[in-house]
Amino acid sequence: MSRTWQAPDALAAQSPLAISLEAVSFTYRDAASPALRNVSLRLERGQTLAVLGHSGAGKSTLAKTLNAIVPTFEEGCFTGVGQVCGRMLAGTRVAEIAPLVAMVFQDFEAQLFSTNVAHEVAFGLEQLGLPPREIAARIEPALAAVGLRGFQTRDPTSLSGGEKQRLAIACALALRPQLIVLDEPTTDLDPQGRAEVFCLISQLRDQGLTLVVIEHETEELRHCDRVIVLDHGEIVADGPPARILTQVQMLEKCGVRPPGINQVLAELGIEGYARDLDQAQALIEASMGSQVRPPDPASPGPSSHSRFAPNENQQNRPVIAPLVRVEGLGHIYPESAMPALDEVDLTVEDGEFVAIVGQNGSGKTSLAKHIVGLLRPQRGRVLLAGNPVEALTAAQIAARVGYVFQNPDHQIFAATVEDEVAFGPRNFGLDPKEVDARCEKVLQAVGLDHLRKCDPFLLGRGERQRLAVASVLVLAPKVLILDEPTTGLDYPHLLRMMNLIGELNAAGTAIIIITHTPWLVANYARRAVLMSQGRKLFDGGVAELLAQPELLEAAAFRLPEVAALGRRLGINALTIAELVRALRGAR
Amino acid sequence: MPIYLYLDRKTFIHRLHPAVKIVGIFAVFWSVYWVDQPLALLPLGLILLGVVHFTDAWPNFYRLRWLFIIVIFATTLTWMLFYRQGRPLAYLGPLYLSRASLEFGFGRGLKLAELLATSVLFLSTTKVEEFATGLAKLGVPYRISFAITLSFRLVPLFIDAALVVVQAQALRGHEFNRGGPVARVRRYLPVTIPVFMGALRKANNMAMALEARGFGYSANPTSYLQYRLRAADVGTLVLVLLIALAYFGIYLSGYGTIGLA
Repeated sequence: MSRTWQAPDALAAQSPLAISLEAVSFTYRDAASPALRNVSLRLERGQTLAVLGHSGAGKSTLAKTLNAIVPTFEEGCFTGVGQVCGRMLAGTRVAEIAPLVAMVFQDFEAQLFSTNVAHEVAFGLEQLGLPPREIAARIEPALAAVGLRGFQTRDPTSLSGGEKQRLAIACALALRPQLIVLDEPTTDLDPQGRAEVFCLISQLRDQGLTLVVIEHETEELRHCDRVIVLDHGEIVADGPPARILTQVQMLEKCGVRPPGINQVLAELGIEGYARDLDQAQALIEASMGSQVRPPDPASPGPSSHSRFAPNENQQNRPVIAPLVRVEGLGHIYPESAMPALDEVDLTVEDGEFVAIVGQNGSGKTSLAKHIVGLLRPQRGRVLLAGNPVEALTAAQIAARVGYVFQNPDHQIFAATVEDEVAFGPRNFGLDPKEVDARCEKVLQAVGLDHLRKCDPFLLGRGERQRLAVASVLVLAPKVLILDEPTTGLDYPHLLRMMNLIGELNAAGTAIIIITHTPWLVANYARRAVLMSQGRKLFDGGVAELLAQPELLEAAAFRLPEVAALGRRLGINALTIAELVRALRGAR
Repeated sequence: MPIYLYLDRKTFIHRLHPAVKIVGIFAVFWSVYWVDQPLALLPLGLILLGVVHFTDAWPNFYRLRWLFIIVIFATTLTWMLFYRQGRPLAYLGPLYLSRASLEFGFGRGLKLAELLATSVLFLSTTKVEEFATGLAKLGVPYRISFAITLSFRLVPLFIDAALVVVQAQALRGHEFNRGGPVARVRRYLPVTIPVFMGALRKANNMAMALEARGFGYSANPTSYLQYRLRAADVGTLVLVLLIALAYFGIYLSGYGTIGLA
């Protein structure tokens, strides 16, 4: 079937509703329960809708329903009636609805398949059969709208995560659709990249585009017009952010992390909704009287904010060679002008909990890969317990340092969970009884002992992530490096993962975690290393780092909202509990 | 390290019509097919080296230098095992060393190296999108040309993913190069399964993304890249066809075959 280009307006009847779903249910083939249950949703044109919910709540299925991927691409049982931008979904192919509904997928790398940025934007327009002159005319404005002007000839694979995500949005914008669906558009992005994407979403909203945004980070969703919460395929809450984001208990019950400042207000029993820090400060001051005082520079701040402080025995150990010592480390990747690492020094002692933070491409993962010997230092050296890493065998390195990759699927291959965990110890020739004992212990530690005979590929993302930790942990390393261990996890799974890491640390394992999430650093780490352009900008206590907003800004890292609110109120607090405790004390 | 071979340069070859470049590749393949004699293959090799220099494609050839060396040497030695023609000069175990076997083996190695060099040159000077446009201009249906070019985009991505998996398993103490050939193949199972599963997942996501971006909306999509056949394209086309004809002439003259002396 061949078509010539028609403007989306001509394709769609001018319905005042962008989305109209009536009693839509969908069950994936072979699934035990429906992904969507009796969902009815009406969204007016020009509105921005935020969709919240735990993993498996039906968010992505709902998103895919809006451009007919469900049920035309995904097989299953679909019931109900759907209309999007005036077009009935029944009998509509995905490609047919593409001029009206654009989608930015969670796996944004899977939707970039061209060799330069201009071709990438042109791809969708070519498919619609637009004349070449029209295609050329649309590329520049679409890239300018997302801040990628001048990137036309760049290879998409060479862009940073934030740039790739913005390119995916530019591809959607170039189609000039009536509705854009963004499925977790900031996964993998550093705080600055995340802020850029949400700033862009605000601009698009102001231009009158209809937007549907699926997101875990609720702090970013306050400017939406409407929020719905999905739980096991059903809409359990629907309303403006002021009504939904203040229901802290309901959100937590549905596996959604409530915005930090709203949690603080709820804990203090203050009624009202804060859209930003100004409003939160005003509400607290109005409730407690004006007790604002400027931060005391001499104040030491919270001494230990981790719930998983090391025990006394660890603190009083005799001085021995540090577990990890990095000296003057330098590395330049082939065909790269900029050093990935430049004169980096780092020491990690027994039982420490270190967070390595910094924007995408700042050198965090390169540093971690040097520590486990995956990269050889071009300058400087890396010592593990006093021994140069290049002089150690794989088994010796594994006994000292474990490395959990960001994507657990990079290592899972065995037929059962148990075999997956046992793979490492068997490689090192451990006695079978010892292997069994270790597997038993770590599977219990990560809470997967009841799934030991299961096929790892059938586990959920959170469980696969814990399995990846278990399969490294079983080698009993003294240091565990985790590269973005919470990516793609919903709030309950994230808490479970972080609690597990905290417990390991309390039991004596030194932790090095690479993360982009400021509140995780504030809640769990005791020491922070800030990287920027391959150099170490800061190395010290978390409270000390977060007390330097200029430094954070220079490295594109953001103060957690709760810490920022605390500073405005003259309180050095990093976590919700600390801030609430301090405010109650002041009361 | 860039995962694609394309080198963004502004040379004459880069600017050629992609359909002419595709015809050029087939002309080289045709030429190579008819001759076995290394001396007969040499002029074509020199022309290819000249094009490599002219297009500044040396970085890609440097990256793949070991592949070229292995192809030439391994092919030469392999044919010396089986091509037992001509008067033997020496006995080196199972290797049959005669002028004919040496010439034949080296000629085969050179042939493969020239085929490889032509392909690398093509990918160094032609974007995947240009490749698709060129195939479409030659009458290949859009869906087929897109599928062919998509494979060129995906292979480097899968290689990239495989390298990460190798690192992940090595850190768990897995040694890939232990045991005999069969054992070694088996030892790659912990890599192939994650890569295969990842490829399946990526293929599924990509198929969804393709349709969501309008793939299939029109049976005859337009192309942002617009090419007209210029005098330079016609001239190049004539030149490569003359080279192909010349090599067919060498074959007919009998010079391209190996003597049994």
